[in-house]
Amino acid sequence: MEERTKVIAKPKVEVILEEEERKKLKEMPLWRVRLYLTWREIRNNWKLFSENKIGLVGLGIIIFYAFMAILHPILMKWVWDPNIYDPIVGYSYDEVLQPAPPSLRHLLGTDPLGRDVLSQLMYSTRSEFALGILAAIITVTIGTTVGAVAAYFGGIIDTLLMRLADLIIMLPFVTILIVLSAMFKMNLIILAIVIGILSGFGGTGIVIKSQALTIKVRAYIEAAKVAGGSDWHIIFRHIIPNLMPLSFLYMMFSVTSAIFSEAVLSFFGLLNIRMSWGLMIHTAQTAGYLLNPKTWWLIVPAGLSITLLCSAFYLVGRALDEVVNPRLRKR
Amino acid sequence: MLRYILRRLGQIVITLFVFLTLVYFLLEAQPGDYAQTFLSNPKLTKEQREALKAQFGLDKPLWERYLSYMRSLLRGNLGISFEYYPRPVVSIIAERAPRTILLFLTAQISSFLLGFTVGKILAWKRGQTFEYVLTISGVTLYTVFTPWFGLMMIWIFAYTLGLFPIGKFVTPTLWRGAPVDANYVFIRILLSAFISSLVLFLVLLATRRLNLALRRGLRGAGVLIILAGLLAYWLPSGITRYALDILYHLILPVMTLTLINFAGMMLLTRNSMLETMREDFVMAARAKGLPEGMIRDKHVARNAMLPVITSFIFSIAFVLDGGVITETIFSWPGMGLTLLEAALSQDIPMVMGGLVFTGTLALFAHLIADITYAYLDPRIRYT
Amino acid sequence: MAESILKIENFTMHYMTKAGEVSAVDNVDLEIRKGESLGLVGESGCGKTSLAISIMKLLPENAIIKGGHIYFDGTDLVPLSEDEMRRFRWRRISMIFQAAMNSLNPVYKVSDQIIEAMETHFGHIDYYEAREKVANLFRLVGLDPKFMDQYPHEYSGGMRQRAVIAMALACDPDLIIADEPTTALDVIVQDNILRELKALQEKLGTTMIYISHDIAVIAEVSHRIGIMYAGKIVELADAEEIFHHPIHPYTAGLMSAFPSIVGPKRELVTIPGEPPDLLNPPSGCRFHPRCQYATKICREKEPEFKDYGSGHMASCWNPLEG
Repeated sequence: MEERTKVIAKPKVEVILEEEERKKLKEMPLWRVRLYLTWREIRNNWKLFSENKIGLVGLGIIIFYAFMAILHPILMKWVWDPNIYDPIVGYSYDEVLQPAPPSLRHLLGTDPLGRDVLSQLMYSTRSEFALGILAAIITVTIGTTVGAVAAYFGGIIDTLLMRLADLIIMLPFVTILIVLSAMFKMNLIILAIVIGILSGFGGTGIVIKSQALTIKVRAYIEAAKVAGGSDWHIIFRHIIPNLMPLSFLYMMFSVTSAIFSEAVLSFFGLLNIRMSWGLMIHTAQTAGYLLNPKTWWLIVPAGLSITLLCSAFYLVGRALDEVVNPRLRKR
Repeated sequence: MLRYILRRLGQIVITLFVFLTLVYFLLEAQPGDYAQTFLSNPKLTKEQREALKAQFGLDKPLWERYLSYMRSLLRGNLGISFEYYPRPVVSIIAERAPRTILLFLTAQISSFLLGFTVGKILAWKRGQTFEYVLTISGVTLYTVFTPWFGLMMIWIFAYTLGLFPIGKFVTPTLWRGAPVDANYVFIRILLSAFISSLVLFLVLLATRRLNLALRRGLRGAGVLIILAGLLAYWLPSGITRYALDILYHLILPVMTLTLINFAGMMLLTRNSMLETMREDFVMAARAKGLPEGMIRDKHVARNAMLPVITSFIFSIAFVLDGGVITETIFSWPGMGLTLLEAALSQDIPMVMGGLVFTGTLALFAHLIADITYAYLDPRIRYT
Repeated sequence: MAESILKIENFTMHYMTKAGEVSAVDNVDLEIRKGESLGLVGESGCGKTSLAISIMKLLPENAIIKGGHIYFDGTDLVPLSEDEMRRFRWRRISMIFQAAMNSLNPVYKVSDQIIEAMETHFGHIDYYEAREKVANLFRLVGLDPKFMDQYPHEYSGGMRQRAVIAMALACDPDLIIADEPTTALDVIVQDNILRELKALQEKLGTTMIYISHDIAVIAEVSHRIGIMYAGKIVELADAEEIFHHPIHPYTAGLMSAFPSIVGPKRELVTIPGEPPDLLNPPSGCRFHPRCQYATKICREKEPEFKDYGSGHMASCWNPLEG
């Protein structure tokens, strides 16, 4: 008779961490463990993100423009003659007729005031980024807080915040910006703050609130309450961290919206700034070169840059959407 | 449901009221005295100036001015424009609004149709390159700098190819000596469009219950009747070529706006479809042996379109917003342009009037969106 | 003896996932006769639902049929195109889905959804005739026809289940596959529905495949029972036989895993371990890591699926006696 050996089945436990990893973690202080786990999250999300070529294209464009922004001061300091190439006060003496078409000296030509277009383009990149990111941060900070607070407390606080949001979205966004800028001249920082406040208390707040509502009813919130967590503790330690992916996503869209709004305002000449892409097109318009296809370099590079940077952030946002919302992924 | 609508209408009135109060005081808070600017118009005589002061109550304190404004608002009087004195604000809105509505409603509907159809197909056939190309081009178009893109379109289609007019909404030479003015034609166009859509909708509703062959036949007949009706009205009216001229000027801006806006709808539809496709009833539909097209349209799209339609209706409220840019580029004299001018020239009554217009539109669009959503999704019933 | 209506031969199906190829159904042999009701039992993930949707070729995009035949009434379904399959779906083979609640489209009335199936397969059926038929179907499954024009969310769980059964019967199919139809219901409703299903089956003479992880439920409704494990059918026999004379150790384990209300109190006997990872199924007999009778050959070679007498099939190197 064959020997019947007893085989003890090994239970298959779902391991998130390997044995060695776990040992290492046991010895680290808590804050380091958190850091480590966060880094792993980022690494995994990056893998998901990079699977989608769309996001990579967007990211590529952003890096390209960031590079341009960094390159400009270097060029100004060491390569270019500031008298000629300064984006605001430079003047190109070698050309007789301004605006001059692209040439070896001025790769994108000059504008009606004799300033180098490429230099203007690169110089503005800095402020576009600054504006976009500042506005986005303000929008998302306000939006996330509003959303979380409205969802968590409900009742009259919710109603007030939502009615406020209603009032804000009733206003046509671009038109209001135009009206405000007609009232007092805005510079980039003020514009960023205004955009941030309007978007944060408005549309973004509403969207994040509905997400916060789904988080509020989860078991761990109940657990936290039972364990005696105060309201603010729960909001800041539990709800908001779970809203982060969505917030981050909306930051991308906020940047797009901010850059776009700034471009529109500059185009109408309503902004108190020294140089921006929108302003470049405005200059072309006031000098009468707007509808002239022959002076394409006055409009095409600026318009294209606005478009490219806006769509870059949007593409990144869309790719992030697939990371944040697993149902959209392919199997 | 009726109670819900009534309640919402009540809320709309309150919100509108709060909104207007806020705006009024916001405008008053501006640096600089708009009254002075207005009154310093050299064309006015001293008596006129005093009369105007009294009429507008410009010498009265803020409180009183506010109250009298609100009172006349309730009577439907939005005041008299400073810039276009002595035309009342309401008449200016009545003149400009139809132009904006025609342009943007057409554009919104067409971008919705394009975006929805493409998004539907995109979600259904998930090919690698196909999806990639459409998404990138869609997004690029969506985030394109509108003035720039508008100009490009004009350059290509109007300047270079000469296919469409460069701007404005009428060809001045054609209209010289015309029996009617542009607004007359505008209103007629809007009305015919509205009535034909209504009739079409009713036909679709009435033929729902019938079997396939009969349904198709009746609907085809309905469409033919509507076309016949339109022809019967327009051909003998004598203003057809004016209407056609307006429509001719409409094509390029609508094309531009559609290209810019369709991607938002497309991506939203695609996402919504993808989420719906994972539902169990989709597999059940396939198990029932239904043809692919029917599963895609009747089952998936019908469920997926809920958030898309809501977004669409909601976006109608913002018709005015994007309007400013487009109307400037295409020189289309609508509400957007008017509001911009008013803001820049401190024509306060006009600004207030314009904002009343947008605000009301936004609130009603919101309400209609909610009602439509309830109609489309039987699970949602308001008490 | 009644003729066989469904004959599955050597059928294998894999899912291609990011992590690799999952061997979901492996070399399955199955035969069902007309009018019979077959119960398929197994743990979650053992491949029973995969097998069910394979029969109707409702496979997702990443599923590949690696080989085998599914003969339905003489026709091999495996090489058929989607268009050809559509003629079989619902009209010849219909399905009652797991969690039936969600298999009804929320935006259409229940009656319309049933009529849709009828219209698709019976061409230009008159609308009012179709409604009559729906009313009859409702009565057949124990639903009051006055609920016909309501929406799925207005039904209770049990009602939805009945509605879905009515829908499955709409085109008078020859074979109905019921995939865990009562899992999501409370015990009393479950009991009622099981009894009604059994009565319906006997009345109409429809062939049924009944899938569940709950062996008690299967026992109530099936003539024959098939035990599935890790994508393979390990035992197949008449219901009585399986209960009293299980051959495969897994089957025996399933039987004794049941607490009995009558009889002495004893400790719950469970089958240790968990179902295997189908990305890398165990070598030889897929059950060997958990089997207390496993021997060397069990680890090395897959046992044959053979007849142990009067149609009692099993695949095991160390079949249980008695």
